[in-house]
Amino acid sequence: MAEERFYELIFICRPDTPEAEIDKVVSTLQTIVDEHQGRIEKIDKWGVRRLAYRVDKSREGFFVFLAMYGRQGDMIKELERRLKVSEPVLKYMTVRIDEELKRQNKLVARRERRLARRPRKTPGESATAAS
Amino acid sequence: MAPHTPGHSSHSGRSSGPRTGGDRPRKPRRQYVRRRKVCRFCVDKMDYVDYKNVDLLKTFILDRGKVIPRRITGTCARHQRWLKVAIKRARNIALLPFAAGI
Repeated sequence: MAEERFYELIFICRPDTPEAEIDKVVSTLQTIVDEHQGRIEKIDKWGVRRLAYRVDKSREGFFVFLAMYGRQGDMIKELERRLKVSEPVLKYMTVRIDEELKRQNKLVARRERRLARRPRKTPGESATAAS
Repeated sequence: MAPHTPGHSSHSGRSSGPRTGGDRPRKPRRQYVRRRKVCRFCVDKMDYVDYKNVDLLKTFILDRGKVIPRRITGTCARHQRWLKVAIKRARNIALLPFAAGI
């Protein structure tokens, strides 16, 4: 079994899309994730934002953000295929960030270890230790 | 600290000091301390540069949309590398411009 990977997916809908339509897209994505033994960690609707450049003659877009775990690469393939064919979606992007999060955790852990090893480095504690 | 560049000093001498004869304008030695640039990400102890943090990323691109080189911002090599990736991702999803229309 493949290891678990963490992905972030953002897609942008046309700004005039009714909310119900967006929810429908989200729920189809949800079912795809469920079918592939993934799990959605977070769904966040950012709402209508200005785009930095025009996409399909649109200057604004409704942003939806998803964070999820997945085990099968096919899941992403299917999600992106679905987004590509859905009418209201202007643009989408999936990023795999588990390696970066791992690196971040490592760095945080290292910093904490360092602090623990040399507690007298902090000025407040050294004063109390000396007296 | 930084070497005294002749271009700078001659300019300041002309504007401030009284002009005396001679081939070179006399100038008071301009001593300016160049502020040491520090990496903002290191100061804030950031271990991950998020591509969704548009306000932060915006401070590292020019109005045109280009990435500001690290010799100007003072970002360390590692953080500039992460920043680069974050900016590219943000561009991809229309959070940041590739090139601003001027």
